[in-house]
Amino acid sequence: MLKRRPRPILYVLVALSALISFFPIIWLILTSVKTQAGVYAWPPQYWPDPFTAKNYVAIFTKSPELLRSILNSFIVGTGVTVVVLVLGGMAGYALSRLRLRFAGPTMILILAVSMFPPVSLLPAIFQNFLQLGLLNTYAGLIIAHSGLFLPIAVWMLSSYFGTLPIELEEAARMDGMGYLRIFLTVILPLSWPGFVATGLIVFIFSWNEFPLSLVLMTQSAMRTAPVAISLYPGEYSFPWETISTATVLAIIPILAVTAIFQKQIVGGLTAGIGK
Amino acid sequence: MPAMTVLDRRRHWTGGGFVLPTILLIALVLIYPVLVSVVQSFGQSDLGGTAPYRFVGLQHYIEIAGSAHFWNALGVTLIFAAGSVPFELVIGIGLALLMNESFRGKSIARLAVLFPWALPTALNALMWRWMFNSDYGVFNAVVLQTHLASRPIDWLGEPTLAMTSMIVVAVWKTSSFMALIILAGLQAIPGELYEAGRMDGMTRWTEFREITLPLLRAPILVALILRSMDALRTFELPFNLTGGGPIDTTESLSLYAYKEIFAYLKFNSGSALVVVQFLVVFAMSVIYIIALRRRD
Amino acid sequence: MAQVRLQNLGKTYGALSVVRGVDLSIDDGEFVVLLGPSGCGKSTTLRMIAGLETINEGELTINGTRMNDVDPKDRGVAMVFQNYALYPHKTVFDNMAMALKLSHVARPEIQRRVAEVAEMLGLTPYLERKPAALSGGQRQRVAIGRAIVRTPEVFLFDEPLSNLDAKLRVKMRMELQQLHRRLGVTSIYVTHDQVEAMTMADRIVIMDAGEVAQVGTPRDVYDRPANFFVAGFIGSPAMNFLTLRRAGEGWQAEGAALCLPALPFDTGKLDRLTLGIRPEHIEVGDQTTGPWCFDAKVELAELLGADALLNLGVDGVEMLARVNGTAHPERGDSLRVKLPPDLLHAFDPATGGALPRKA
Repeated sequence: MLKRRPRPILYVLVALSALISFFPIIWLILTSVKTQAGVYAWPPQYWPDPFTAKNYVAIFTKSPELLRSILNSFIVGTGVTVVVLVLGGMAGYALSRLRLRFAGPTMILILAVSMFPPVSLLPAIFQNFLQLGLLNTYAGLIIAHSGLFLPIAVWMLSSYFGTLPIELEEAARMDGMGYLRIFLTVILPLSWPGFVATGLIVFIFSWNEFPLSLVLMTQSAMRTAPVAISLYPGEYSFPWETISTATVLAIIPILAVTAIFQKQIVGGLTAGIGK
Repeated sequence: MPAMTVLDRRRHWTGGGFVLPTILLIALVLIYPVLVSVVQSFGQSDLGGTAPYRFVGLQHYIEIAGSAHFWNALGVTLIFAAGSVPFELVIGIGLALLMNESFRGKSIARLAVLFPWALPTALNALMWRWMFNSDYGVFNAVVLQTHLASRPIDWLGEPTLAMTSMIVVAVWKTSSFMALIILAGLQAIPGELYEAGRMDGMTRWTEFREITLPLLRAPILVALILRSMDALRTFELPFNLTGGGPIDTTESLSLYAYKEIFAYLKFNSGSALVVVQFLVVFAMSVIYIIALRRRD
Repeated sequence: MAQVRLQNLGKTYGALSVVRGVDLSIDDGEFVVLLGPSGCGKSTTLRMIAGLETINEGELTINGTRMNDVDPKDRGVAMVFQNYALYPHKTVFDNMAMALKLSHVARPEIQRRVAEVAEMLGLTPYLERKPAALSGGQRQRVAIGRAIVRTPEVFLFDEPLSNLDAKLRVKMRMELQQLHRRLGVTSIYVTHDQVEAMTMADRIVIMDAGEVAQVGTPRDVYDRPANFFVAGFIGSPAMNFLTLRRAGEGWQAEGAALCLPALPFDTGKLDRLTLGIRPEHIEVGDQTTGPWCFDAKVELAELLGADALLNLGVDGVEMLARVNGTAHPERGDSLRVKLPPDLLHAFDPATGGALPRKA
């Protein structure tokens, strides 16, 4: 197709958007490598002078609970991703491919519950998990996050399964496979891109989830990264250089995953939009 | 419905088995707590579950209806949604149109769109809170040094300004999500349509108005629904950016309910609050669904 | 090898009935083709035999055993799919061996049987490849091979050649015929391509709107179509139809001047009927005169190669005739045509049924 738009304007717009998008993250990183004096200097330091890694060293030596929170986020995020992919994959397969009479209403139910405001779950889930002894346990938060993100995973995976040729499953039936074996040996190997995309998105969602993580992990040693950093400042003092540094450490895994798998994530988020 | 044959039944039992664990987990985490909240909102007990439940009818709802604090939170939530979602939509459409062009460095541009989406909202709020800091924040540094203002601006400390700042943070983070969904819709529009449009003598603007916008209706509505739901549920943004202040002018329904339950331990009236919030979100989704239906 | 019996077979989706009252008895070793336009229920019928669609009405038996509630793998049937349905992540060997592995056939036996079938189909060099590395024809062969390896009682084919290009289709058609002669397994073959049906079938089952319109040998359905639908469906170009009104002893075309003498059919008390004549049966340029000869004008002539198609105006009636292409008449030519009474077909316009010839 012929292009009508003069290109320079396009590049200016793209550069401007990118700058606005990246600026807060850049500013965060710059803050994390300033000295304490640099952080609170007037006139303000736009460029760190001098650069320092002291804040990072300080996190490792003085605030181990922040490091621990990043580890907690990893454990919970990984657990949630595994649970959601296994259960959501099976449910998505059955609901999209087995021609079940209850498939339609079930999908609607799943969509409807995913609209529940998380805060409306808090009082009961807190009480419930307290009684079950699940407060301050990885298992507890993994269960909670799994329930929270299963709906979106079921929707994403079933829309991915919908792109596979149904004849393949019929051929497998004729070959003598049961449904579980079809799922494991035919569907799984063929839909790993869908599982990758869904898994990445679920991991990111779990990493970022706030209200349930806040309420279900009350001990500082068990907190996930966003909650730990959010609760780190005291009532009146805000050690911004420490907060910035911890935030950088807590978002690096997420941004790295996003950068590496950008295509898969975009594909997963927008699956089914074009139809 | 024809009767099920033996093979049909076998398939349904297997399929039911596949779906059951998911349904159980969703029931435990999503459905049961909401039902408990409904029950608790009509009664009196305590958060630890030690005091016996006593039915009190609509008492908590009547208290809520008479509470200025509640009406404030509801107003804050609605203003926040109404103030952020339209901007997100317009900027999202703009970004999507940009991303739909071909240019060099596209993957960098795509990252620029994805990063804000991928950031934890809570940490994003903290980042901005630092930039908005009235003494050491970068925004005041710029406006003071360029003499746009003579005194530091209290971005998060003055009511209207605080709400505006919160909306800016939300728009920065979520316009990109809008852009992604709308971009997917854009890419599904067949190129021949634009070629046909060109044969009909369309300009860039008429092309956008006559082809692009009408065909983007479905993705735009989907994005609007998802974002409005999110805006009405907003919790960690005010929690981390302003704490609900100044004088509760950024205290959303979610934040208010959270404080009632976990700071003031008002378990039952807090439950009534979350039920009300649930109904607000539900009503909004019904309105959208009706709108979708009617325009189809 | 097996006999397959369909008794009053039917399939409904909710209130929608897609197949009704299919009765069919297929003999051991027979090659039966289900033929019809898309949406006629032929694929659904095949899939009911396979066990991929459940049977809502009637009964399916193979060798006298009721199969309605039997799992597909236990029916002794193998299927070749339209899109091949090969497992893209498995090699040709594994694709062909899958059913045997799942039924716990011993490894050496699997090796032997796959090797034998691969040899038969010329697939031996490709056994370690993945389907993506094969051409369309090779993939089709693997799909067929996968079915043969199982030594099924019945072969089911669901439009197996429709994804191949025209040349390859003819070649594979012939290979399938040879294969059938060699293996002699009862086969049920679904297609919408009447050339495939005519060339391969022992018997053709023509379906229309979920029901069987006619069952017969290729000769039968071409020479003696049982009804208006079959007459119009079989044959290319399609049969010419004209509506006639009784006029004394003879018949006159509706809205035209063309008059025909008394017809060799049992017309009973009908005062209207539909007359059919195939384009290839109209004799053109015959100078003889007689009651079945008429003046005609060529309105359009299309050369196809060996043949030519003529659009004729015969006393106000449009007809298509197929003639030898070497020296065909041109547009505007006037000529004589003969409608041979032995090759005419007549149908009751109300029921669509063919009218019997007078003895």
